Amino acid sequence: MTELQQRQTPTRAADTATRSAYHPPQRRRFRRGFGLGGLITLLPLLLVFGIFGWWPIGQSVVLSLQQTNLVDPPAWVGIDNFRYLFADPLLWTTLRNTAWFVVLALLFGFPVPVLLALFVSELRRLGGVFRVLVYLPVLVPPVVALLLWKWFYDPDFGLFNQVLDVVGLGPSPWLQSTATAMPSLVLATTWAHAGSTVLIYLAALASVPSELYEAAEIDGASIWRRLWHVTLPHLRGVLLIMLLLQIIGTFQIFTEPFILTDGGPEDSTVTILLLIYRYAFLNGDYGMAAALSVMLAIVLATLSAVYLRLTRKWSTT
Amino acid sequence: MRARWVRIVACGVAGALVPALAACSASEPADNAVTITVADLPPTTQAKSRQQFLDQVAAFERDNPNIKINATDSQWEAKTFAARLAGGQLETVFIVPLTEPPGLIKRRQVADITDETRALPHADKFENRALKPGTGPDGRIYGLPTSEWALGLTYNRQIFTKAGLDPDKPPKTWDEVRLAAKTIFEKTGIPGYAQPTTNNTGGWTLTAMTYTHGGRAEKEVDGKQVPAFNDGPALQVLERLKAMRWEDDSIGRQHLRNGADVLKDFSAGRIGMTIATPSTYGDHITKYNGDPAMFGVTALPSGGTSATLLGGKMAVVSPKAGTAERAAAVKWIDFRYLRPKYDTAAAEERAKANAADDIPVGIPAVPFYQAQVVDPVLEVERRHANVPLNNFKPYTAGVATQDYIPEPPVAGQDVYAALDVAVQAVLTRKDADPATELRNAEEKVAPILERAQR
Repeated sequence: MTELQQRQTPTRAADTATRSAYHPPQRRRFRRGFGLGGLITLLPLLLVFGIFGWWPIGQSVVLSLQQTNLVDPPAWVGIDNFRYLFADPLLWTTLRNTAWFVVLALLFGFPVPVLLALFVSELRRLGGVFRVLVYLPVLVPPVVALLLWKWFYDPDFGLFNQVLDVVGLGPSPWLQSTATAMPSLVLATTWAHAGSTVLIYLAALASVPSELYEAAEIDGASIWRRLWHVTLPHLRGVLLIMLLLQIIGTFQIFTEPFILTDGGPEDSTVTILLLIYRYAFLNGDYGMAAALSVMLAIVLATLSAVYLRLTRKWSTT
Repeated sequence: MRARWVRIVACGVAGALVPALAACSASEPADNAVTITVADLPPTTQAKSRQQFLDQVAAFERDNPNIKINATDSQWEAKTFAARLAGGQLETVFIVPLTEPPGLIKRRQVADITDETRALPHADKFENRALKPGTGPDGRIYGLPTSEWALGLTYNRQIFTKAGLDPDKPPKTWDEVRLAAKTIFEKTGIPGYAQPTTNNTGGWTLTAMTYTHGGRAEKEVDGKQVPAFNDGPALQVLERLKAMRWEDDSIGRQHLRNGADVLKDFSAGRIGMTIATPSTYGDHITKYNGDPAMFGVTALPSGGTSATLLGGKMAVVSPKAGTAERAAAVKWIDFRYLRPKYDTAAAEERAKANAADDIPVGIPAVPFYQAQVVDPVLEVERRHANVPLNNFKPYTAGVATQDYIPEPPVAGQDVYAALDVAVQAVLTRKDADPATELRNAEEKVAPILERAQR
C-alpha cells in the first residue's frame, strides 16, 4: 500500500500543477470587480432568478405572516401562523415521517446508484446497454411510472403479490400497512431516480486515471482494495455533493406519497410537502402553508451550510 | 371601459385595413355590454357535449346581445384555484363540487349572488335542501346547484346474479350489506364491498354512514360547533367495517383509494358494492366504457335511520366580478343549468339533444324546485330517458323517504381528513381500536373547529 500511496502523490501534484497553468487563481479574474458589461451579461440571469426565484421566496416569507383569501387585502397576523403550525399534531407526525423517509432513502437510495455505477463501469461488454437500462426509468413520466407502481403494489390484483403468491411468500400489504408503506415508497423512488445519479457517478468514475488501477493491479491489490483506495477517494467530492442533494431532495418528497398513498395509511406517509399541499389547496390556508414552507427552507439552508462546512476539508483533501 | 376603448381602436385599425367598415360598426357593442368567462366547457374528447355547450353559448348570446361569453374547458382543480384566483384568471362562473362551497364562503372566495338569484324565475319555489349547500351561515346565497344527487349504494348487478343474490332486491340495511359482501366474496372471489378512504372521501362516506345511524359529524354546543362523531353511531360504522375486513375477510385488501379509484375498479367489475351517487353512471359509461346492464344503484342503506348526504356540483361566481358581470353570470347559470329544471320546453330540448348524443338522460337527481314546478319537467325527461330506468328503481323508491342531512357546517374538510385516518386504521390494521381512532380524530378536530370559529 505504501508503494501505491507513493505512486499516487506525484500524480496528484502533477495534476494540480497542470490545472494551475490553465486556470489562473480566482482573485486575478475578479480583481477589477464587475464592469457594466458584466452586469449587462448577468442581467437576464438576475431577472429570471429574481422573478421566478427570489421574489416568490420573499413573497412566501411575507405570506407566512399574513392571513389572506387572495381576494381582500391580506391581514397581518404576526407569528400566528407559526403558532398554529406548532399546535398542529400532524406537524410532528409529518416531521417524523419525513425523517424516516430521509433515513430509508439514504440507507437504500444512496448506495444503490453508487453500486450500480461501479457495476456498469466494471463491465467490459454491454456497458452501453446497461447504461440505457439503468437510465430508462428516468425517461418514463413520473406520474405514469407511479401509477404503474400503484398497480404493482395492489394487494388484491397487483403484480408483486401475484409473484409472491407463486413463490409462496405472499401476500404482503405493501402500501396498506403503516410498517411497510414508507419502505415501499422508498423502493419506488429509488427505482425512479437512480438512473440520473448513476450517470453522474459514471462520469466521475471515467475521470479516475486508469494508470492508478494498473498500478494497483501490479501491486496485487484486490478489487475491494482498488475500490477503497483508488475509486472512492476520487469519487469523494461527487459523493458528498450527491449526498447533500439527496438529503435536500428527500426532504422535499411529494409526488410519490401524493400519487401512491395520499399520506395514508393513518397519516404514516404524510410528508412535509404533502402537508403544505393540504394546508394550501385542501384547507385554503395559504398563510400556514407559507409558514411551513419558510420553516422547511430555513432548516434545509441551515443543514446545507453545516454540512458543507463540516465536509469542506474532507472533500478537498 | 378600457376594454371598450381597446375594442374601438382595434375596430378602427381593422377598418382601415379591411374595407368592410360597415361590418365593424354593426358589431359595435352597446353601452351596457359585458363580457364574462364561464368554465365547464366539455373537453374536445367529449365532442358532442362540447358542441352542445357551444350551441347554448351561441343561443344565450342571441337572447342577450349585451352579454358576450368566453367559454373555457377548465374544471375545478384545488391545486390551481388559488393561483388563478390571485392572478385574476379565474372564470366569472366556475363549477365546484358540493363539498367546496362552505370553505369558499368562509374565506369569501365566491360572490354573494342573493339579489341576482331572487330575480330569477321561480326563485320563490326553490327546494330548500337543493339550495342549502350554496347558502352561507348568514343566510345569503353564494352558489346555485347544477347537479345534485343523494348518496346511495351502487352495486354490480351481474356479480349479484353470479353470487346468487337478487339484483332487484339490493341491501336495505348495513347488516344486509355485510351479508351480501360475504356471499359475493365466497361465491365469486371478488371483494364484496369497497370503502373509499383517501382524499377526504373516507371521512365523507363515514359521515354519510354515521347519518344513517342517527349520528352527526358536528353538533352545536353553546353556539359553537364541536365534534360529534365520537357519540356512538360512527363507532358502530367503524366496528362493522372492521368486522367485514378482518372477521369476514370479504372486502379485499386494497384500502387506500379515493372515490374515483373505487369507481374505476367498480366499472372494471372488481367490486361488488360501494357508496356513490347515481351520477357515477355517467362516468361508468362514458369514461370507463362500463356495461349499462351491470350498473345497479339503491338508496343509502339504513343503520336505523333513513338519511343520506348530498353530492354533486354547484355554480359559483368569482368574487372579483363586478355588478354587471355578476348579473350576467347568474343569467348564464339560469340559462344553462336551471332552466331545463323548471321549463318543460327547455327540458325537452336538452333531453332530446343529450339522448341523441348518447349522454345519459333519466338518472334520478335531487330536484331543484318544488313539486309543482318540477313534476312536469321530470315527466318530459322520463320520455327521453336512455338509461336502464329499472336499475335505478330501488334508488328512487328508497331516497323518497330519506332525510337529506347537510355537510358538517364548520371546517368539513378537516373533519373528513381526520376521519380518513380512522377509516384507514380499521381497514389496514387488525389491532386498530375503532373507539381509540375516533377519540384521536376528535382530539385532532376539536382545536381546528375552535380556531375556525374565532
